[in-house]
Amino acid sequence: MSGAFDSGPIATLAFFVASAITIASAIIVVTQRDLVRAVVALAMSFVGVAAIYFILNAEFIGVVQILVYVGAISILIAFAVMFIGDLANAGTLSQSRLVSAVSGVLMLASIIFVAYNTDWTAIDEVNDPDAVAGLVGHYEVTGGSGGENSIVVAGNDVEDSRGGALVDGSSHIGPALIREFVLPFETLGLLLIAALIGALVVIRGRQEDDAQEDDAA
Amino acid sequence: MTLEIVLVVAGALFSIGLFGVLARRNIIAVIMSLELMFNGVLVAAIGFSRFTAPAALVGVDGAITESAVRSALTGHMFAVFVISIAAAETALALALVFAFFRAKQSVEITDATDMKN
Repeated sequence: MSGAFDSGPIATLAFFVASAITIASAIIVVTQRDLVRAVVALAMSFVGVAAIYFILNAEFIGVVQILVYVGAISILIAFAVMFIGDLANAGTLSQSRLVSAVSGVLMLASIIFVAYNTDWTAIDEVNDPDAVAGLVGHYEVTGGSGGENSIVVAGNDVEDSRGGALVDGSSHIGPALIREFVLPFETLGLLLIAALIGALVVIRGRQEDDAQEDDAA
Repeated sequence: MTLEIVLVVAGALFSIGLFGVLARRNIIAVIMSLELMFNGVLVAAIGFSRFTAPAALVGVDGAITESAVRSALTGHMFAVFVISIAAAETALALALVFAFFRAKQSVEITDATDMKN
């Protein structure tokens, strides 16, 4: 796991700092008795994950993470916490606390075991700089006369590159969404509409029942 | 920074979320822990996307096609779809929490016993 994909000491340091912030905030989320503080820690954890995405050359996903998770989901959960306001015994842990802790530790141990004991041979082959010539380094899209545009590699200078698998991946996400992934994309739109209508029905259903009862009375 | 380290961070997030889902009794806290687990999975997906190149790009030198580059973004696409579905899931879950609170005057997960037995 070295060579073409090394990103230098600064990126590694930034990765560890972001990971530390993320994991510390996550521990606060699951242990904090005050739910409002837990929501703030959750937002902090989302920001840390966004930083990890930026370090891993996934700029678009990092921006989406901040917009959707920090900007929407955290606010939604904070809204729910403040709306319901049943904070008296919010921090109560269930009686299966020991079982939960053991499950979490076992899960982490097995993930670490698998991560370090799996032979990522196929990945190592791809990590060979010759194999990924064109991916490491600078490339530019040239207009094709017909059909697909081709991407010309401007240089394979590993030292000069950002060392990412894709130097500029964000600009290819839009075309991918409407070409290779168009069917999942449209299905996703259907799912979002169904989820929103479902949420409205669940929220409003009882109010309509009450109104009908009021009319009957 | 290697793939193993990224996987360990992702696994730590997932495990902390798992602990929260099992140990918390407040439903909103359980949903928050679920979001942590989502994020752990996504970090793993982005890590694999970052440290691997798909078969379509192996052995190509000089010019690579645009579709090959797009197929290298499968991990990113996975993250986009999972984030969208997580947003829909959270909205629906919080609507259910509101309905549950209205019916039971409680957000304790141990009070959700209507369908027990």
